[in-house]
Amino acid sequence: MKNRKGWALFLIVGLSVAAALIASPAGAWLLHPVTPVARDVRSLFYKAVAITAFFFIVAEGLLLVAVLRFRAKPGVPAATWHENLRLELVWTAIPTLAMVVLSGPAFSTMKYMETIPKSDVQIEVVGHQWFWEYRYPKYGVIFANEPLVVPAGKIISANVTSIDVVHSWFVPDFGIKMDANPGRINHVWFQVDHPGTFEGQCAELCGVLHGKMFITVNVVTPEEFERWIEQKKKGV
Amino acid sequence: MEAGTVVARPVPPHAAAAYPGTKPRSGILKWLLTSDHKLIGVMYLWLAFFFFSIAGAFAMVMRAQLSAPGLHVLRPEVYNQLMSLHGTFMVFFFTIPIMAGIANYVVPIQLGARDMAFPRLNAVSFWLLVPAGLLMLSSLFLHGGSAAAGWTSYPPLTDRQFSPGPGVDLWILGLHLAGASSILGGINFVVTILNLRAPGMTMFKMPMFCWTVLVTQTIILFATPVLAGALTMALTDRMFGTSFFHPAAGGDPVLWQHLFWFYSHPAVYIMVLPGMGMISQILPAFSGKRLFGYKGMVLATAGIGFIGYLVWGHHMFATGIDYRLRQFFSFASMVIAVPTGIKIWSWLATIWGGSLRFRTPMLFAVGFIALFIIGGITGIWLALVPFDIQVHDTYFVVAHLHYVLFGGSLMAIMAGIYYWFPKISGKLYNEFWGKVHFWLTFIGMNLTFMPMHMMGMLGMPRRIYTYRPEFASWNHVASAGAAVLGVGMTIFAVNMLWSLGRGKRAPVDPWTHSAETRTLEWTVSSPPPAENFHTIPVIR
Repeated sequence: MKNRKGWALFLIVGLSVAAALIASPAGAWLLHPVTPVARDVRSLFYKAVAITAFFFIVAEGLLLVAVLRFRAKPGVPAATWHENLRLELVWTAIPTLAMVVLSGPAFSTMKYMETIPKSDVQIEVVGHQWFWEYRYPKYGVIFANEPLVVPAGKIISANVTSIDVVHSWFVPDFGIKMDANPGRINHVWFQVDHPGTFEGQCAELCGVLHGKMFITVNVVTPEEFERWIEQKKKGV
Repeated sequence: MEAGTVVARPVPPHAAAAYPGTKPRSGILKWLLTSDHKLIGVMYLWLAFFFFSIAGAFAMVMRAQLSAPGLHVLRPEVYNQLMSLHGTFMVFFFTIPIMAGIANYVVPIQLGARDMAFPRLNAVSFWLLVPAGLLMLSSLFLHGGSAAAGWTSYPPLTDRQFSPGPGVDLWILGLHLAGASSILGGINFVVTILNLRAPGMTMFKMPMFCWTVLVTQTIILFATPVLAGALTMALTDRMFGTSFFHPAAGGDPVLWQHLFWFYSHPAVYIMVLPGMGMISQILPAFSGKRLFGYKGMVLATAGIGFIGYLVWGHHMFATGIDYRLRQFFSFASMVIAVPTGIKIWSWLATIWGGSLRFRTPMLFAVGFIALFIIGGITGIWLALVPFDIQVHDTYFVVAHLHYVLFGGSLMAIMAGIYYWFPKISGKLYNEFWGKVHFWLTFIGMNLTFMPMHMMGMLGMPRRIYTYRPEFASWNHVASAGAAVLGVGMTIFAVNMLWSLGRGKRAPVDPWTHSAETRTLEWTVSSPPPAENFHTIPVIR
């Protein structure tokens, strides 16, 4: 019996450590935010993990303890109670409250993502089977099948649509995913902290080569961007 | 579990006349011509497991293709077909029918009825499912192959322009037949449960499994016609040049997504609620303790069924639907955690203080709780719009849905199959190999699907036939886990087939239920006699 309790304690501690690992520092190897939106998404994720970890540990912990402690033993009859209104009210009310609390940061982050600030560069993203076309209307630049180039630190707004089937423009590190629906234009914005190359790919099944519909975004300094766009305008 | 003492009551004089079909037939005709709910239930089980083995084999081949980046086990178009059929078959031709099959067998007996309310309709429901599945499967061998747009089949990818072969047409036709089968079954179950309960069995004395079937079948009745409508629209778009979903002619592909998910989100509950009912029966049976909070459980079941209709938009957070709409769908989805939580807490309270016997059904039932908690929690995360957008259509969602449908539905189905196998077959299965099956399934399941959370958060989209090298390590683990699952399922098949032939005879109640947890099927022989009861029991 003592040994079993020891095991139960060990397992509960183990579960808590696992839950803690999934939370704060471990999220860093799964999510690498480089935009304000993506950072907000990650901190929302941490909050969600923190709140739900409580229920996870309590539920899995009770399950473990029950399984270890209440194995049938000769001469020990099962309990006969099967109702407790107060307990039922508690386990209805507390999760409800937790959901209300969690919806706060979720809705404010959603609002933040949704409200497109005044942008510095506008682009258009058009999905095709199976490549992306990018347009810079202000500069009259259109190209496809090449990396998108945007300046670091500037607010970029994108109009996303498709020419054929539904695609989805997805760059994980930006915290952005937006369906490209034919006949509709969706809006999305991002602001990348620092120069670098970021990979993504189409996230909505779009046919045979859906798995090869990659996205590369080269984020460069504003000066480099000016130089690049001038060259593009000349058709280089 | 609410069955009181069974009191003998004479057979009413008209009863024999009302069942003229009871003269025994033998051989194949016995099965082809039957309207007996038990035989139909058994045929459902065979058919569902047949489709399960095919869809499972597809999953094995897919995991082989994905075991390392850049492999060429499958061509991309074949991968997309197998992936689409895996989803479609697991949902429409395994999980939903096997729940219907178990319910078909068990519910009339638990109610103290001689059969379903409409026995012939019951046979029609079953026989519609056979051509449905075979039609869809046959498309694999036709020119252009099967439908390859996922089980969700979003247009315009399913339009004739992008999917010219007959695959999508057969997919639609198959689902139409399966849907008709579901609707007819729904009518039958609802009428049976409302009207054929034994004398004295009030609604709140019904076993929990019957309650979950009632709620499930009501969901089917309201949701499936919407799917049928959407399928018809897709079919006329393909066949007759209408443009419900063609943007160029004023249609909108997003409309399909609304209609599809208006059915398919409730379908999640269609797939999981009966499983929850089985768990609510199996836990008390092996704890020697009554189900905790019966009325709360009934309310939670009904609550899940109702709120389940209000959350379909959470599949569309990245589609670009209105902000306020997303806010509503987000909160409604979070609220579902509350009745689901009530169920989990009540199950924990059921086994707490019990006298637990870990036979195979109990192992699967406990495994169900352990895994379903994880699926439920990732479900809460996914209800948060910004996080959903981050991981929508990535492997994170694949992980979540398999924790709910594999860790949830399938574990419950396995618990139910082991639990009722002696009753249905009249034979005992091999307990040792049953336990081996459980442990391989439990370990293999976590090995396969836990890493998919990581893949998804790293940014690996779902439904891709190969992937960038940075996702390789987690995929190795997932494929190894799939192999473990494959071994486990093979052991299951061999154990069951062997036991069917060579198993020991099962007594009336092989689980030695306590008086408080024994439902009516454990008061009749294994297998039960024709028409179940010599005299209709009276429940006190």
